[in-house]
Amino acid sequence: MGDEWIAVPREAIRETMTDLKDQGYASYVFMTCVDHLATPLVEPPPERFELVYQLRNMETGHELRVRVYLPESDPRAPSVHDIYRPANWDERETYDMFGILFEGHPRLTRILMPEDWLGHPLRRDFPVGGEPVEFSEDYEAWQTAPPEA
Amino acid sequence: MAEGKLTQTGGPGITVTRSREEGLEGEILTVNFGPQHPSTHGVLRLVVDLDGEMVQGVRPVIGYLHTGIEKQMEALRWQQAVVLTDRHDYLQPPINNLAYALAVERLMGVEAPLRAQGLRVIMSELTRIASHLLWLATSGLELGAMGIYFYCFREREKVLAMNEEISGFRMHTSYIRPGGVSGDATERFLEMLDAFIEEMPGNIDEYEALLTDNPIWRARTRGVGVLSADDAIALGATGPMIRGSGLPWDLRKRRPYSGYEQYDWEVAVETAGDCYARYLVRVKEMRESVKILRQALDRLPDGPINVDERKMLPPPREELETSMEAVIHHFKLFTEGYSPPPGDVYVGVEGARGEHGVYAVSDGTHKPRRVKFRSASFVNIQSVEPMSLGSMIADMIAIIGTVDTVLGDVDR
Repeated sequence: MGDEWIAVPREAIRETMTDLKDQGYASYVFMTCVDHLATPLVEPPPERFELVYQLRNMETGHELRVRVYLPESDPRAPSVHDIYRPANWDERETYDMFGILFEGHPRLTRILMPEDWLGHPLRRDFPVGGEPVEFSEDYEAWQTAPPEA
Repeated sequence: MAEGKLTQTGGPGITVTRSREEGLEGEILTVNFGPQHPSTHGVLRLVVDLDGEMVQGVRPVIGYLHTGIEKQMEALRWQQAVVLTDRHDYLQPPINNLAYALAVERLMGVEAPLRAQGLRVIMSELTRIASHLLWLATSGLELGAMGIYFYCFREREKVLAMNEEISGFRMHTSYIRPGGVSGDATERFLEMLDAFIEEMPGNIDEYEALLTDNPIWRARTRGVGVLSADDAIALGATGPMIRGSGLPWDLRKRRPYSGYEQYDWEVAVETAGDCYARYLVRVKEMRESVKILRQALDRLPDGPINVDERKMLPPPREELETSMEAVIHHFKLFTEGYSPPPGDVYVGVEGARGEHGVYAVSDGTHKPRRVKFRSASFVNIQSVEPMSLGSMIADMIAIIGTVDTVLGDVDR
């Protein structure tokens, strides 16, 4: 699509980010996560979760994307909040929405969802269904059902 | 700052803590500011640590307007999801539409025709003016300048009337769509636009006469909330925030899209980095937008307003009666939609508040795998804390005002 990108292992994130910042990618655009659960692609991505960092060189206007794949069984990544400050809230949002744990983050708490929310809504296996309706036919059933994990 | 032994609890939402900081005499008051305070531009909650009137710590608490738009996008087809993009930053719907449309077009490998590009520029600049007007009106109110409100809303109403004329909606236009725009400009719209361009420079002079040399306005904004250029880059600030700190960074110039490279205009820059500089930048941007509008209107080319791609857009009504293929395309489009090839794109456009970007991932199906909005407000609001530390609480109001956050855009 014309967007340049590199893929790095998660052990090398902090090193790569520091190097790129020294090379002139001073501006951090955004970071987010993509959940590749049950992808229909013929050549699926290597792991379920993909972290995407978008960086920009403000002198040249050049953009670079850094991809990091994280396994479903161990969704952890080192935090880069001290290298790029806006990553602080993006990492909290990614934790909130996808359950990715960022090691070294000063305050990894939910940011958009209520503090007592269960689950991570932007995961593909989180149902869109909504809340059960009170006074519906199976009122008894949902009232006694255990909360969804 | 909030750490410390709890000594006493004041009224609702107020905690008095004894500070452990060396050299501080007074008590640190931790106060909930919002979430329903008139000066927080929506439902923003700030937990503020106060030493007297001095701000010693600010922690924004967001999420009160979270509506799960990114999750909903994954449940809609590519062409349906455009209506949701209107609704997160409700002060600049056409610019949100434009970022999404450009992302989908790049995934599909098509480019909008020239007339559509001209109309897109017109709608983007109109909504930029409308958004800055609303900012000026409400920020004026917060700092005690009541009169400016009525002047700004007088002109904003004209922009909304033009939105209605061209798209049928006053606010959530959904006018710019992947592949083009939803309808051609009517004669009446072009007349309204022409009159608007003619009178707008005089109106901006009126706003400036009310505020620019107003001693109270200057006292409330000059030297308040200073953000240096290096800090602005480090904090990821964009839009009027970074231009008020002396960096001429504007995506319309640096990474032009939708034909912005062909217009003759200047990037509004101020070097002071304070609230007054951000005010001047926004006023100048309105003037530059008027210049772009004049050129875009004069040069608006004739021709189609949508790409000639039957897989993306429905065929014209008259073809349905004569062409079997048109009927098939129509049926496929409205039952299944279209499927961009697998891949991901990031498109950033210059919104009224800064860089508004859409990161779209296609997995080859007719629904997005992931759509992420890089919203300017979400990033800019993080700079409220470094800017307001050590200032008076009344100055913090000016700072929140000139950051110009839209809470729907912060929470999405």
